[in-house]
Amino acid sequence: MTTIASRTGRAGTLTGPVRPGLRRSQRRRLLTALVMLTPALLGLGLFFGYPLVASVFYSFTRYNLLSEPEWIGLRNYQYLFTQDPKVWTAAANTLWFVVILVPIRLLTSLGVAALLVRARQASGFWRTAFYLPALVPPVASVVAFVFLFNPGTGPVNAILHALGIRGPLWFSDPNLAKPSLVLLGIWVMGDVMIIFLAALLDVPRDQYEAAELDGANAFQRGRYVTFPNIIPVLIFAGVTGVIAALQYFTEAAVASAVASGKASVGDAAGAVAGYPDDSLLTYTQWIYVRGFSNFQLGYASALAVLLFVVAAVFLALLLRRVKAFTPEEAQS
Amino acid sequence: MTTVVPRMMGTASATRFRRPSGRVVGWVAEHTLLAVLLVLFVAPIVFVLLTSLMTVNQTLTASIWPNPFTAQNYLDAFAKVPLARWFANSALYAVLATLFMLASSIPAAYALARLRFRGANLIFLAVVVAMLLPPQITAVPIYVMWAKLGFTGTLLPLILPNLLGDAFSIFLLRQFFLTIPREYSDAARMDGASEWGVLTRVILPMARPGIAAAGLFMFFNSWNDYYGPLLYTSENEQWWPVSYGLATFRGSHSTNWGLTMAITVLVMVPVVLIFFFAQRVFVEGITLSGVKG
Amino acid sequence: MNHIIRRRLAAVTAALAATALLAACSGGGSTTIDKTTPTNLKGSVSLWHFFTDREAKVIQSVVDDFEKANPGVKVTVHSGQDDDKLQKAISAGTNVDVGISYSTDIVGSFCSSGAFRDLGPYIARDKVDLTQFNDTVRSYTEYKKTRCAMPVLADVYGLYYNKKELAAAGYTAPPASLDELEAMALKLTTYNADGSIKQLGFDPLMGFYENSAAHWGPSTGAQWLKPSGKSAIGTDGAWNEIMTWQKAFVDKIGYDKLQTFTAGLGQEFSADNAFQTGQVAMNLDGEYRTAFIGDQTPDLDYGTAPFPTASDHSDLQGGGYITGNIGGISKGSKNPELAWALLKYLTTNTDAVVKLANGLKNAPTTSGALSSPNLSLGTQFGTFLDIMSNPKSTTTPPSPVGAGYQQSLEDYWLKFQQGKGGDLAAGLASVDKDVNNSLALVSGP
Repeated sequence: MTTIASRTGRAGTLTGPVRPGLRRSQRRRLLTALVMLTPALLGLGLFFGYPLVASVFYSFTRYNLLSEPEWIGLRNYQYLFTQDPKVWTAAANTLWFVVILVPIRLLTSLGVAALLVRARQASGFWRTAFYLPALVPPVASVVAFVFLFNPGTGPVNAILHALGIRGPLWFSDPNLAKPSLVLLGIWVMGDVMIIFLAALLDVPRDQYEAAELDGANAFQRGRYVTFPNIIPVLIFAGVTGVIAALQYFTEAAVASAVASGKASVGDAAGAVAGYPDDSLLTYTQWIYVRGFSNFQLGYASALAVLLFVVAAVFLALLLRRVKAFTPEEAQS
Repeated sequence: MTTVVPRMMGTASATRFRRPSGRVVGWVAEHTLLAVLLVLFVAPIVFVLLTSLMTVNQTLTASIWPNPFTAQNYLDAFAKVPLARWFANSALYAVLATLFMLASSIPAAYALARLRFRGANLIFLAVVVAMLLPPQITAVPIYVMWAKLGFTGTLLPLILPNLLGDAFSIFLLRQFFLTIPREYSDAARMDGASEWGVLTRVILPMARPGIAAAGLFMFFNSWNDYYGPLLYTSENEQWWPVSYGLATFRGSHSTNWGLTMAITVLVMVPVVLIFFFAQRVFVEGITLSGVKG
Repeated sequence: MNHIIRRRLAAVTAALAATALLAACSGGGSTTIDKTTPTNLKGSVSLWHFFTDREAKVIQSVVDDFEKANPGVKVTVHSGQDDDKLQKAISAGTNVDVGISYSTDIVGSFCSSGAFRDLGPYIARDKVDLTQFNDTVRSYTEYKKTRCAMPVLADVYGLYYNKKELAAAGYTAPPASLDELEAMALKLTTYNADGSIKQLGFDPLMGFYENSAAHWGPSTGAQWLKPSGKSAIGTDGAWNEIMTWQKAFVDKIGYDKLQTFTAGLGQEFSADNAFQTGQVAMNLDGEYRTAFIGDQTPDLDYGTAPFPTASDHSDLQGGGYITGNIGGISKGSKNPELAWALLKYLTTNTDAVVKLANGLKNAPTTSGALSSPNLSLGTQFGTFLDIMSNPKSTTTPPSPVGAGYQQSLEDYWLKFQQGKGGDLAAGLASVDKDVNNSLALVSGP
């Protein structure tokens, strides 16, 4: 981290002395930059800028793709805030994942990373073993977990049964479905863990040694040496975790569909989404159900606009706190 | 940072700080905890493997050890399920998306990392915002767009946009390009190289690990994608990729856990294989995307 | 409906100018039809249906017959397309000519949104006799007097019972009332040593297999919508009655036990179906189950009967829930004449309907097919033909939110059966509100 910072810092002073023809070279550079950026700029406009604006427009209409959008003013928002029977359930579920899943994942991956830093023998083996589950495609890991926690024939309840414990319903119990997904979230924490591990390995050794010389105990070393060094990484992982949780979709959707045993996933998404008892119905699933299952595209857009407002708040926070996301470095 | 990364998955480095001797108890406690955790982390995969080797009837019982072992589920996975086509579709999606992304995003990332021009900051900000906002926010208008073009029911809406750059990849590549010392490109410019020349002859060879990481991320994301295929190809079985196929297949063969687990294993295999061949690159990419806070 | 009329008006005036081009482009096909039935059909037409495996083969055999009779026509079949996918494909303008759906619930939304074309002009031109369908069947294929769908066989729901298990418990006849059903079911239920359920007499959980509000409503004669189109759920005491009965039944066994047992049961349309394995002695199911049993577990000794009715609704006995597969021509069809020819063949040609009925073991919908000597549906099927012709049988009304109103009730019912629904009357009143709100969002002012 430090090496990069200094490098870019130095590079900032490297702009050459003023000489004739600079203007022409500047213009040429702008032209080159434009050519290099043309596809990306088109992409940003077509797949980001335009749809963002269009979503706001559609949110004031009744639209089902078959007939032209019909302007209905604030009707969709009125329904959203005062009548939609499930939107707050969905929002609460998403909030649950933000408030519970994200911190638990951070803490467990930090804990495992801290253990791994100290494992000196065969460190490559340990690291790979704990990272591997993060590689499993999400759909496969959800299907596997629903099977493992199947109340009737799953291995988890079989083991509990052998221990004389009556296993709960897990993914079929509205109170346990979300916690079951947290277990899955912990299992696949490798992506966050690797970042923490790198940050912990990056803490300068001399700081520990100095602290030890000063007589700091393990806790104090953690508090005054480790923590300040990894705080930027914690913030990064926390806020990106929140943003990921706001769009939590695949795991919940597949878990509902598989656990319900209904005909299929996504198909009849409206009927199966959220099983059991809407406990897994997340906000983004609700957008999908209203938009692409009921084909109420105008209303789905209103839901999307609300999500945008909420996500924008976290985004602003992220942009302020995480240096990697601020463009200053481009100045180099 | 980057100096640390290459040894992440490798053997322990020798530069670890001195540990006071006589902490045997701590060592044992830590390793016991690690071992217990390891068992918990590996257990799900072991159970999936074991179940995939069971007969249909046995999967419906609470027994854990296959008796007898059977490979039938793996044969059925290809005979009874269009798994080969799903794999082909996933491969097509992931490979094309990755190639298209690289072609469009590398120049963009280079321009944002190395060319100074008015508006660069604004464009970079737009890239970051596009990368971080939930895709569901823009889903409706984009879906309408593809529907009007008649491309729904195919994988094209998921592949084609990569021709016009991918925000996360541009961000990641830019971070990599920033770590390449300027001196190299300045030297090339002195020799009369154009910016394109600098990009292709200096940056590309030096940023190979970064480009590989960005490519791998794109490949994995496309391979694992569920939301995109659900949205665009659910009505056309012909274009189902593995991740969507697995989820939907499970629906119609609900009790055939053995077969389901066999397919689950087969879906994991390519990703894990690629990881083992490219783990250094991969870890470097993850680290660089996050640690520069 | 207005927009359909408007569109037709537009098509007439379009002859004037360039607007004609625009309308043709954006409308995705002409809305005027040939004056006479075209004779020499040529081209290709796509058929989207939801059947899979064995049932898809039955459809294919009838499609083959159609192609044989019309040598110039090629039918492209897309199987396994449920309502979500069908609606997605039609809305997105995919080339769907004929779409077959398993639920009549989409008729309201497809007719009112224009996803399915108005078939009236074709029916009038070809002089198709609609009285060959019975009243219930006719009612669920049209919406507000617009006929945009044709019935492709009907589904009729009744009670299946395992003769051997009933006999072992000393019963010789199936239950006629809900109370009998409950008493018999409790007697037929056995438990494991640890208290979990081993075998169930009848699974009363809402959401299990075919246990849905729509299928249970006829037992107390419960109504869905008022003539005004608004929800009748909260004001019709019949829902209160059936839900109270169901909840008490669930409580006698225990919700958790039932849920654990149900989660371990096989998939409905696999050979592991709990009724076919004997894990459940009595089951609510459709007439098509006879075909699955014949195919997957032919040795099962079972009987069929109309589903029991509440004791104070014995007048409803013999009736049941009727719904059907329906077929329509999509808005985006490139060749509506061909599509109509195929749809007409599938729904009104006696040979075709009989072949479909025999193969799928679904109830035929035309009087011609019902009286055909070639109809062979098996001994257990008579019950379902009787239910179908019973005047007390009912169906779910079409609405612009499709099955949304049923979903609202079932969402509440799922909570209620766990004891989380609070006061039933208040709960049903809030279901009313949800239904009316969503109706207003889709079609209100």
